[in-house]
Amino acid sequence: MRIIGVYNIKGGVGKTATAVNLAYLAAREGVRTLVWDLDPQGAASFYFRIKPRVKGGSKKMLRGKRDLDTLIKGTDYENLDLLPADFSYRNMDLLLDQAKKPATRLLKLLRPLSYEYDLIFLDCPPSISLVSENIFQAADALLVPTIPTTLSLRTYRQLLEFVTGNNLNELQLMPFFSMVDRRKRMHVEIMQRLPKRYPELLNSSIPYASDVERMGIQREPLAEYAPKGTAGLAYEALWQELKGSIKF
Amino acid sequence: MNQALAGTAGSDMTNPQEMRFPTPDEINLDKALASIQSKYRVLEDPGYQVVRTFLDSFDWRLHAGKITIWTEQSADGITICQNGIPKASHCIRVAGSGAAPGYPADLPPGQMRETVARLLGARALLPQVEVKGQVRRLRLLDSADKTVLRVMIENNTSRAPGTRDYISCGSCVRLLPVRGYLQPLATVGDLFAEVLGVTATKRGLIDEALQAIGKSAQNYSTKLSFEFDPALRSDLAAKQIHLFLLDIIEANVPGVKADLDSEFLHDLRVAVRRTRSALTQFKGVFNEADTEKFNKRMAWIGEITGPTRDMDVFLLGFGKYQECLPERFHQDLAPLHLFLENHQRMEHRSMVNKINSPHFRRSLKEWRIFLEMPTEEEPQAPKAATPVRHLANKRIYKMYQRVVKQGMAITAESPAGDLHRLRKECKKLRYLMEFFQGLYPKKNISDLIKSLKKLLDNLGDFQDFEVQAEKLREYARQMVEEGKVPHATLMAMGMLVDGLLRRQQHVRNEFADCFALFSQPHNQRMFQSLFTGRTQKGRV
Repeated sequence: MRIIGVYNIKGGVGKTATAVNLAYLAAREGVRTLVWDLDPQGAASFYFRIKPRVKGGSKKMLRGKRDLDTLIKGTDYENLDLLPADFSYRNMDLLLDQAKKPATRLLKLLRPLSYEYDLIFLDCPPSISLVSENIFQAADALLVPTIPTTLSLRTYRQLLEFVTGNNLNELQLMPFFSMVDRRKRMHVEIMQRLPKRYPELLNSSIPYASDVERMGIQREPLAEYAPKGTAGLAYEALWQELKGSIKF
Repeated sequence: MNQALAGTAGSDMTNPQEMRFPTPDEINLDKALASIQSKYRVLEDPGYQVVRTFLDSFDWRLHAGKITIWTEQSADGITICQNGIPKASHCIRVAGSGAAPGYPADLPPGQMRETVARLLGARALLPQVEVKGQVRRLRLLDSADKTVLRVMIENNTSRAPGTRDYISCGSCVRLLPVRGYLQPLATVGDLFAEVLGVTATKRGLIDEALQAIGKSAQNYSTKLSFEFDPALRSDLAAKQIHLFLLDIIEANVPGVKADLDSEFLHDLRVAVRRTRSALTQFKGVFNEADTEKFNKRMAWIGEITGPTRDMDVFLLGFGKYQECLPERFHQDLAPLHLFLENHQRMEHRSMVNKINSPHFRRSLKEWRIFLEMPTEEEPQAPKAATPVRHLANKRIYKMYQRVVKQGMAITAESPAGDLHRLRKECKKLRYLMEFFQGLYPKKNISDLIKSLKKLLDNLGDFQDFEVQAEKLREYARQMVEEGKVPHATLMAMGMLVDGLLRRQQHVRNEFADCFALFSQPHNQRMFQSLFTGRTQKGRV
């Protein structure tokens, strides 16, 4: 089993769309996939039409009173399940702080699922917190959707500093450009300049496209309603690149 | 619990198993569908045709464990589906070659693989029946248009794998739950039961598909469970036993030839051994010349199948051999594995040539003709007309006395050969007791068989360790003769031999206790009262 965190310190960069679309594409290829919607806003749960509610809330879950597998919901797609969000996730930081070995709590909860899934996507809330530290400990790799703007790059540097400063050398960072608008000069310039500086940058990028925004109306992965659009093809390319660099 | 869910196969409430309602008539089905439309939005996806291949071992181990595994073939791979395994995905799509799984290792890791491996042991998954179905697919949606239950309305036909024509096996409605959505399954299950007037069936689609082609699951067992009339003539009883064993031998021949899994050969050899034991133990029941002729032929079958079985045993236990050594030496045994695989193939080829020979075919054919021939009213064989209970009593008690006498004579200094001889006698006693167990009170006879089995386990381990150690030494010599073999491999094999001999010594030390347990006064009394009709105080 491989665990992929989809993360950025900054919000609104396309994390949930990335997690949902890549999970769908993986499952379609026969990879047993789970998405854990860790964001209290519950956008991934919304896209899959699943109520963002977890019985007993995050308190019981983090204390191990409820096995994660009893909380899992089947999506409408084969091989793809979801662990829904819950509004109580907003307090997860506090609850983790009270737990034993707080930094590795999520990893411990995820371990029993390792046999049933080949791939787990963690759709992470933004900001650096104890939750994100848990995600860094649990994940094998972090997919970092990054908008090609100076502000976004600054947050990527912050993430890099955190990762190197906290001995997370095992964690593979996989930044990629997201919400790319090729009409904007800054986007184009940054995309030309950055691969030399950050060789870990993936080749694939996701365009800023109305197809992606429509996910909120369609409430389904992009490949279900616009597989051949630019965004649909871009996610397909991103999945192929990701698949090539992770071992199941 | 909801009434409808009481009929689901699994007990897992977070991921319940499917429910199936057989052959509803069309009017009622329409009514049932109308009634669910009053509670859920129902969406119909395009129908499709599906070919399912149901898999199980030759001896139906999954079916006995209440588990069904099948594959659904499509252009981009196969979907492996299950019913009956709690907490496992119902369907797993496997991209790639599209080859059907043959062993548990071919299944995706997880609950499904673990459960199947536990039930199958050394057996392979074989296609048992193919079902072609025309499927209408409905999805039940909740208020957010999320699928919460799938309803499949199916018209199915089935055929035996490798045959041409499909035969109708009726229609059914399957309710496939979505993980985490228990209530819709319960509600719709109840609705269907009410409107259709039938409860969800516990019979699987596989049972109906098999029935349509005139087969049934659980049609193979090597268990000896004869119920003889105590007054039955011994030759008639013996023929029943031998026919049962011959059926097993013949049923396993195709699997042995194709090397589908090692259990075919194992079952065949056990049936041959039992046959030989019965032939020698039922002295005077058939005429002497026939007994000798057929015993010789069975001995030959035992001989020609031995070398392949030896290799199978080593290959099956290879993982355990590796585990006996520290991990850093595991790789050193790889050339041995390769040697065993190559030689298993060679031995198997040579065995199949002999199985295909006219002598083999004639041996089984003539044996069957002999067994199916009506018995003479006034038989020449001296014991043919003896009541079977009398024969059983006499043979079992005599063999028991022999076992006790030989066992008592064994000391810590006795040569290994004495233990081997005792084991042979014990096996004969066990076979006799198993052939005739139906003649005696169930509890008493099975307690004695259990007690004997424990002694046999000890003697079996003792001999197995010795044979394996000797075989390993022989293989090492052969590997050297055949060419380059790394020193490290020979060293590792030496370590294995050493470990086997140590374990042999360990079980040898346990022999006295095992024998004392078997020959304890309680068992003595039981043997006496069951097989001689006497108690210690006199006749009953």
